[in-house]
Amino acid sequence: MGDSYLDARLHALRRTQNPDGGWPYFAGKQSWLEPTVYAALALHGEPAADRAWKLLQSWQTRSGAFRPAADVQMESWGTALCITLAVARGEFGDPFERGVEWLLKTEGEDSNLLTRAASAVGLFKPDRNPRYHGWPWKPGTSSWVEPTAHALVALKLASAKRQDRDVTGRIRLGQAELLDLRASDGGWNYGNRTVWGVDLPSYPETTALALIGLQASGVKDVLDAARKIGIERVSPLARAWLAIALRLYGVATPAPTAPPTPDLMLTALEALGCANYRYFKTGGEA
Amino acid sequence: MISRRDLFPVAAAGMLAGYAGFKGGTAGRSARLGNASVAILKAASYSEDLVSRMLQGIRELKLNPRGLKVLLKPNLVEFDPHTCINTDVAVVAAAYEVFKTLGASEVIIGEGPGHRRDTCALAEMARYRGEIEQFDARFVDLNRDDVSPVIGFADRPEMYFPTTALRADLIVSLAKMKTHHWAGATLAMKNFFGLVPGNVYGWPKNELHHIGIDRSIFELSRVFHHSFAIIDGIVGMEGNGPIQGSPKPAGVLVMGSDLPAVDATCCRIMGIDPGRLEYLRLASDRLGVTEEARIEQRGETIRSVRTNFNLIQPFENYRLA
Repeated sequence: MGDSYLDARLHALRRTQNPDGGWPYFAGKQSWLEPTVYAALALHGEPAADRAWKLLQSWQTRSGAFRPAADVQMESWGTALCITLAVARGEFGDPFERGVEWLLKTEGEDSNLLTRAASAVGLFKPDRNPRYHGWPWKPGTSSWVEPTAHALVALKLASAKRQDRDVTGRIRLGQAELLDLRASDGGWNYGNRTVWGVDLPSYPETTALALIGLQASGVKDVLDAARKIGIERVSPLARAWLAIALRLYGVATPAPTAPPTPDLMLTALEALGCANYRYFKTGGEA
Repeated sequence: MISRRDLFPVAAAGMLAGYAGFKGGTAGRSARLGNASVAILKAASYSEDLVSRMLQGIRELKLNPRGLKVLLKPNLVEFDPHTCINTDVAVVAAAYEVFKTLGASEVIIGEGPGHRRDTCALAEMARYRGEIEQFDARFVDLNRDDVSPVIGFADRPEMYFPTTALRADLIVSLAKMKTHHWAGATLAMKNFFGLVPGNVYGWPKNELHHIGIDRSIFELSRVFHHSFAIIDGIVGMEGNGPIQGSPKPAGVLVMGSDLPAVDATCCRIMGIDPGRLEYLRLASDRLGVTEEARIEQRGETIRSVRTNFNLIQPFENYRLA
């Protein structure tokens, strides 16, 4: 991918950072965790990324979770992204430890004790295996593909520092959940294979994210689903995630040329696809 | 879209708790509302003069949007070229022109799809970006807008919503007339699921499923009560809606300020008994009117446009006699 393509994106990110150190989804709006983490990874090593990390730490709650934005009082799936950023930065102090602990204890409601017990005694037949443990967008709800994929990346990266059975066990159950959510066409959508017995199609963006989450899982065919997606025919967001995923697996992707859009999260992901995608690298190819 | 597995814990919690803690919004059931007016306008295809049809309906209903900040909320969910999931671009474009013509101070189009994160790409596929002039400048992705809390939403102490929606003087639900495999039908009120921000609650907005779909539909209409509805029933969806159903031409636009009345009227047009839909039972006399005798029908009669929508097996007994 050309330097001018990357430079245009990095330049756009540098000039749209909010005074608080974060990034909005669109310039001039409030800072959010998600674009802030992606922009900080894209600008890793620059003072702008340091300011972003400082802001994100101020959003960590007593539970160890991070809030999605300054004024949103809620524990967020984005905690996984903050762990990934912490590992990229070599920050293994208290925010990292508490964030990992929160990830380890957080799971979707579909695998909680009530659901498992009801399933075990035959009160209902769940559409997915309740013994597996994915991650929700927020506590108290079900687990879904995107937060599960990001949590797997975070815990796999964290396992370099924390080689305990809690971490490896949770990675195993999270991967099992992700594989259990796979659509009949071989890819992934947001996290439902079927509704009323009818198969649902996969999406390119969530298939790419699942691929990233399943790095080094030992499952041989996960790359096939992403390979058969025509990267040039999908939406810009899907293209950005596919570029990151395929490059993590050593697959070359076409060099894009389009100018940056006003969407700053997309801008950051497109920049990551050029260079710093390695911060999502969790191990050998599947 | 959620599956039975997602509904189980919700249903279990619902059985345990019932609706004991449910306060029913700001309007008590005892405070019976007056009558409502709903306009049914025939439109056989999207190439007809929809602007004139909408202006006729708005005149009959005496809506005056002059000086108001208007948010047009279409139903933009997924894209499948083989069916008709979304509010047709012709309806959105016509509504935009109508509210500008009637003197609204600002008209914004906003949506927060429940499954797909790339809202602009969806808008492209649904031809919104190509056929609505300066669409990007007029559109807000409600999934990634700034947010503010609203105190009290079902049993939650607070719920966050896009500031674009909270600041609007009038939200126009540009819904699609569709069957829905959990709620029975998705019309003006269910369309407000797209006002819930994905950047807080995720994709899908699973918080609403855990609160309960029917209760969430009710609560959203309670919070966003400054609303008006224009339902795209020119070609609706029957069967396994809201995404995997089949196109169903009904040839109507249905309009009104009382959203429960609009939804109840749409149900009757679709051959669905509105009394079987839990969210309409909750809304009846709290948020609006659903009894046919208390809805003054403008334009066409229900009988003249009724066309039964196919219902999937769990909803077959919802058929209107």
